[in-house]
Amino acid sequence: MEGSSDGVIVARVLRGDVEVFRVLVNRYRDRYARYAFHMLGNREDAEEALQDAFTRAYRSLARCEDPERFGAWLFRILVNRCRTLGARRGRRARTFVVDEVAMLEAAEDHPAERNAWREEIDRGLQKLRADQREAFLLKYVEDLGYDEMSQLTGVGVSALKMRVMRACDRLRELLSEVHSA
Amino acid sequence: MRNDDDGMMKEIARQLRAPLSPPVSGSFDARVMSEVRRMPRHSRFRLWSRLTTPRTVTVIPLSWGLVAASIALFAVIGAIRAFDDIQVATKPMVTALFPSTSAPKPPQRVQFVLVAPDAKKVSVVGDFNGWDVDHAGYQAQHRGGGVWSVTAPVPVGHHRYSFVVDDSVWVADPTAPRVVDNDYGVTNSAIVVQEQK
Amino acid sequence: MNRGVFSLVGLLCIARPVLAQDTRLSAKLDKPTLTAVSAIVDSARISKLPTAPLIDKALEGVAKGSDGENIIIAVRQLSLRMGSAKRALASTATPDEVKAAASALEVGVSERDLARLRAAAGKQPVTVPLAVLTDLVGQKVPIPTATNLVLQFARSGVKDSDLALFQRNVRSDVDQGADPTVAATTRARGLVARGGPPPKPSE
Repeated sequence: MEGSSDGVIVARVLRGDVEVFRVLVNRYRDRYARYAFHMLGNREDAEEALQDAFTRAYRSLARCEDPERFGAWLFRILVNRCRTLGARRGRRARTFVVDEVAMLEAAEDHPAERNAWREEIDRGLQKLRADQREAFLLKYVEDLGYDEMSQLTGVGVSALKMRVMRACDRLRELLSEVHSA
Repeated sequence: MRNDDDGMMKEIARQLRAPLSPPVSGSFDARVMSEVRRMPRHSRFRLWSRLTTPRTVTVIPLSWGLVAASIALFAVIGAIRAFDDIQVATKPMVTALFPSTSAPKPPQRVQFVLVAPDAKKVSVVGDFNGWDVDHAGYQAQHRGGGVWSVTAPVPVGHHRYSFVVDDSVWVADPTAPRVVDNDYGVTNSAIVVQEQK
Repeated sequence: MNRGVFSLVGLLCIARPVLAQDTRLSAKLDKPTLTAVSAIVDSARISKLPTAPLIDKALEGVAKGSDGENIIIAVRQLSLRMGSAKRALASTATPDEVKAAASALEVGVSERDLARLRAAAGKQPVTVPLAVLTDLVGQKVPIPTATNLVLQFARSGVKDSDLALFQRNVRSDVDQGADPTVAATTRARGLVARGGPPPKPSE
């Protein structure tokens, strides 16, 4: 079943073969986990949003209009789940204190630490407004065209372009500060 | 400058496109499938309506055997549940709370103190007594001057608890570490009980 | 008759996971909530996560008057946090460490910092350090500050009993109006420099 198209697998699930749904989970899990993580900023929320998206997709599967494009339909559900979860929880505030406490900071880092530049990007991303972060991720990471983004989000193309532009400006500002510091 | 900026966005996008490692926790697929299996199967929507349409059923000896087995099954389930209730009520809390293959450590006696001059009743509730405001053994006594206290058994380990004043007001222990509760909106206290050697 | 007996045994085997759930849940939760919570507990069991905290979380919700949907969300979130906690602390983490780490994650401590604490503490349990960390963050000490303090304690081998006293001293200072960060860093200096907590002012 792994090589079968989304349409074939959806048809099997709709005929009662629950287990084959796992193929779809496997197929889209990693890529969409990445989006959810960047959107929500932490793994716990990302996994919750992704798990919710899959179970909602299963429940409403009969309403998927184009089963061959199950992935795109699932992604729309996930984008909405991320919006709902993000709005409900708010961003986790990150406060960086530069003061005498520095004398107690550890000099060495855990050997398994990710590179610092990547961490700065993650932090900068979380400082964007949610709608700008969403637009930025859809455009630059998911590589969608503006028409696709508009269909996915229900937002007009010019508004989306504005959000992407503002997100880029803000990220430049945040990350240039880091570089010059 | 514009080339550098475009270059910066491309670099950021490149970093963000890198796969997460690991993408999700190891049990993710199992959790999704577990939830999905509990939902009605898509084909059963049609089967369910067939099952609920009234019609005449002819009983044959084999069916009687299955009916009898089902009745026996429910009787057994009932008996086991009753047995479980008795077990939960009487077995040491340590084994009820911590699944462990080693011998459970005995609960330790812990004193809980709250100053509440206007209270009529103060209970200690936590994950060691099912959060039960009426649990015997966890009802504080008024010692005078608004000081309430109770010394009660708490299993070895990490626990969350709270005081409940007059069965309605939840009060965190002023002297204990707090645990913010984003789930139910009432902050709890934390205690780590260690075995007295 | 034999067929009936085999059916009975077979059905009992299938029913076992339901029977294994705490009977207090079935007495206190409505059916849809019980079904959903049982599913989460079963998943946690499969993932080798402690299940008692999930049952306790549901009972806590009942005691606090929460509705079924909120209880389900809370139990699921705790299950996810415990999964993250176990991942960060390694599979050898005890149930208490997983519980304490889940509380730390809830206030915003990262998995990465949990892993750093695990590395810093070596073979020593991290339950009390995690409870202290959670408490400091709850008192509005910024997460990086609180984390670095607790990491320093772990690397210096500060005992659990001294950590508990540190936590009470900080809380006492804050109750008397001190800024939480100043209180925490001041008390920490004493703890790390002298190898133990300084005497309380009244002593």
